[in-house]
Amino acid sequence: MHIPDAFIPLPQAAVYWIAAIIFLALAIRWARSELNEDKIPLIAVLAAGIFALQSFNLPVSMGTSGHLVGGALAAIVLGSPFAAVFILTLVLIIQGFIFGDGGITVMGANILNMGVIGGFVGYYSFQGLLKILKNPYISSAVAAWLACLIPSLACAVEMYVAGTFPLVPGLVAMGLYHAIIGVIEGIVTAVIIYVLLMARPDLVETSVGVASA
Amino acid sequence: MMDNKTFIIAGILISLFIGIMAVFLASGDPDGLESSALVISGQKTLTGLAPEDGDPEAIGTGSFSYTSPMPDYSLDEEMGSMGGIIAIVAGTLITLLVVMGASYAVRLSKNT
Repeated sequence: MHIPDAFIPLPQAAVYWIAAIIFLALAIRWARSELNEDKIPLIAVLAAGIFALQSFNLPVSMGTSGHLVGGALAAIVLGSPFAAVFILTLVLIIQGFIFGDGGITVMGANILNMGVIGGFVGYYSFQGLLKILKNPYISSAVAAWLACLIPSLACAVEMYVAGTFPLVPGLVAMGLYHAIIGVIEGIVTAVIIYVLLMARPDLVETSVGVASA
Repeated sequence: MMDNKTFIIAGILISLFIGIMAVFLASGDPDGLESSALVISGQKTLTGLAPEDGDPEAIGTGSFSYTSPMPDYSLDEEMGSMGGIIAIVAGTLITLLVVMGASYAVRLSKNT
């Protein structure tokens, strides 16, 4: 759901940039207090993995493909929605400027959808589900599904405000495709969390580690 | 349990493997947003196949344009999948270095 430049008029794109910068500032504050020598390798490897996974478009039928976004994954593993904002912002800057994936003027909107909304929805729905389900893998899979679907609906609303999509058909198309793409997001997120817990349980945030022990 | 060095190397290798597989196996169909744009602009039905020559960005009205050095994760057409591999490997390593650099920079700023 990388929005290209042509889809949002400049004044609106500027508004999304301002909102994105506020969250980015908070993410830098999070990084300053939370990142230590041990967590820096995890965040860097996670970002590289998210970049690679985002380039892997899988067919989801109906003439459409989709790839992992990774907001829920970053937020759950590093224990904060701001981790998703931090990682996704850097990934989106690299994708936009070097690979032309996602626009430049609209990068604020992309950061807001995939980093901020994806990260917050992923993190808080994971925390809520974990309390009820007591299983970190099912909880992270459902949280990641929501963290794919809800940003796509936000994107559809932004497209409506921009005058690019009509509201209801936009919501239906975006919602339908991302409900399916989200299944991939959910499965891959749960698998990666499982592998990380096997390899380095110390690095993965305690809330996940404790629940799986 | 893996030490930091093994963990980073294993993580990079897995990321590169995924990226390189993507060059050969990734679907060429439009993504969710592009597909929605094709539906809205009448070039595709909601559940139908993607058109061969569809242009999802035709629906956009913006005038800003930017040409990236490696558009669509590829180099020259002539380089084919080799160009794709170079682009993905470069992107994965750039991401690793940028995030590591940014993390250390943020950490250093704490102590000053």
